[in-house]
Amino acid sequence: MEMILTLYILVWPVISAAVLFVICRAFLKDLREAREESRDLV
Amino acid sequence: MEIPYFEFSSTSMLLLLAGFYGGTFLLSLLVRHKKENVDGYMVSSGRVGFGIAAASMTATWIWAASFYAAASSGYTYGLSGAIHYGLWGALMILFIFPFGLRFRQLAPNAHTLGELIHARHGSSSQLILAFSNLLGSAISLMVNFTAAGALVAVLSPLSFTHGVLIAGFGVLSYTLWSGFRASILTDFAQLVCMMAVAVIIIPWILFSLGGPSVLAEGMSRLTAEQADFFSRTAILEQGAPFFVAVLAYAIGNQTIAQRLFAVRQDLIKPTFITATIGYGAVVIGLGMLGLMALLIGVVPADGDLNNIIPQMASGYLPPVLIALFFILVIGSLSSTADSDLSALSAIMMTDVYGKNIAKGRPDPRKMLLLGRITMIVATMIGLILASFSLDILVMLVFVGALWGAIVFPVISSCYWGRVTNTAFTAAVLGGLALFTIARFELLPMDGVIGLLFELIAAVGGGVVLGLMTFAFFGRTAGMAVGVIMTLVLAWYFAGFLGDYTVLLASLTAYGASTIICVALSLMSKEEFDFALIPQRVQRFQKSDSTQAAE
Repeated sequence: MEMILTLYILVWPVISAAVLFVICRAFLKDLREAREESRDLV
Repeated sequence: MEIPYFEFSSTSMLLLLAGFYGGTFLLSLLVRHKKENVDGYMVSSGRVGFGIAAASMTATWIWAASFYAAASSGYTYGLSGAIHYGLWGALMILFIFPFGLRFRQLAPNAHTLGELIHARHGSSSQLILAFSNLLGSAISLMVNFTAAGALVAVLSPLSFTHGVLIAGFGVLSYTLWSGFRASILTDFAQLVCMMAVAVIIIPWILFSLGGPSVLAEGMSRLTAEQADFFSRTAILEQGAPFFVAVLAYAIGNQTIAQRLFAVRQDLIKPTFITATIGYGAVVIGLGMLGLMALLIGVVPADGDLNNIIPQMASGYLPPVLIALFFILVIGSLSSTADSDLSALSAIMMTDVYGKNIAKGRPDPRKMLLLGRITMIVATMIGLILASFSLDILVMLVFVGALWGAIVFPVISSCYWGRVTNTAFTAAVLGGLALFTIARFELLPMDGVIGLLFELIAAVGGGVVLGLMTFAFFGRTAGMAVGVIMTLVLAWYFAGFLGDYTVLLASLTAYGASTIICVALSLMSKEEFDFALIPQRVQRFQKSDSTQAAE
């Protein structure tokens, strides 16, 4: 039960961290492309 | 076990708020143009990249109430409670993206969903959408400002009014000049803060309260329903009504539509998928604080379930992390509030001024001025309503029903050429009327009348499931699932659903509006040419790059 509860509670911050990584990496790519094309990011 | 609140000094609280809103304001200066373009003010370039679009969609969908309600659900319904809040909210983002693709394909240059509907049907249908969003965003502003006031009052000697005023003017300060462009850039920063803090505080609280062994010991505190992951009570009282409500919110809400019209068209799908996962993980994760509180026997202060999250943060986090938790909540409410301001200004600029006052020939300078005045007025209204601490339940229920009644008419109008303006308008008004009767029990919900409403609700359930199937698998599969599920639900709901008023009323709004819309559309001989929509929905102003080239 301890193991199941631990996994059940901690899986969400792990997924959040993965999504955070994906979004940050995409943001940096957007930023680099905007600079190369001399246009606004938004 | 009652956990006392941690309290910051007034100076610390003011420094936190000044740091948050000051930093956000400075960030907004990075995208500020001396002369803003009206289209950019509403939907940016229409080519926003994946990183910012996904972050903004997620941040907008997460509002302060998301955390509190998910934790309340976890505390009330036990193991499955947080799932029945966060999972359905997340899946709705996923389910609407095929419709979003269609909206964008029909009107690539649109600023609001109402503008698309205006091109399809005319003013009355468009103004129904505009009105529902004006009301919905005003309520959302009030709720978010109220949450800020309540949190500041709980965690410091400052008053509720101080918190409301600082949040209101803070959000307005960074959104006013650049509108939607500032909103999505700051959404990114706010979401990064929110997610990073959530990643830290959830495990921190788990181990601070004694670790998994303490939680396992607390399983004996749960009732049989709370300990059941497939609890019927949790599904019928929390999961199903929320599932139905959020579909309506996702389709009808301008804050979502605005991001849909802003993101680069080929990035709509990854944006929605990422937002689905991000929203679900953060909200369910913070909802777990409610489950943890239940397992260790925390009693909510003053019996108010909204106090669970602040109590858990106060009891099990060090001061630095409590400060970060505070930023998480302020970030979530601010990102939604700035989206509401941008949505309200876009509706006033496009749906009210552009389409109905200027009749398609607007003056961009007046339009921009109107957008900014709208933001100021909306903030004032939000602040005034928040200061009254109104009971907003009736208004929220009404807006939810209005959007529920809008779902089928909006979607069918974008695929089926026979839907007329009369069918759209009558469907929404009829759905709303029958919803009101069911929700407030204006007629006795038993006997023949009760059965009639239960059958209409069964149609509503079939429509919800049929639309979702249609989104991913096409018309034949959608209609088959819709019909089969209507029959199954009719058998299941008869003599039963009347006891669950909220679900009955919500599904009645869907079912009644669908029946009216389909009946009136079948009576019409009109066949709309969808190629007219992109011709009718255009940018209001040349882009910055075009202007520079000239």
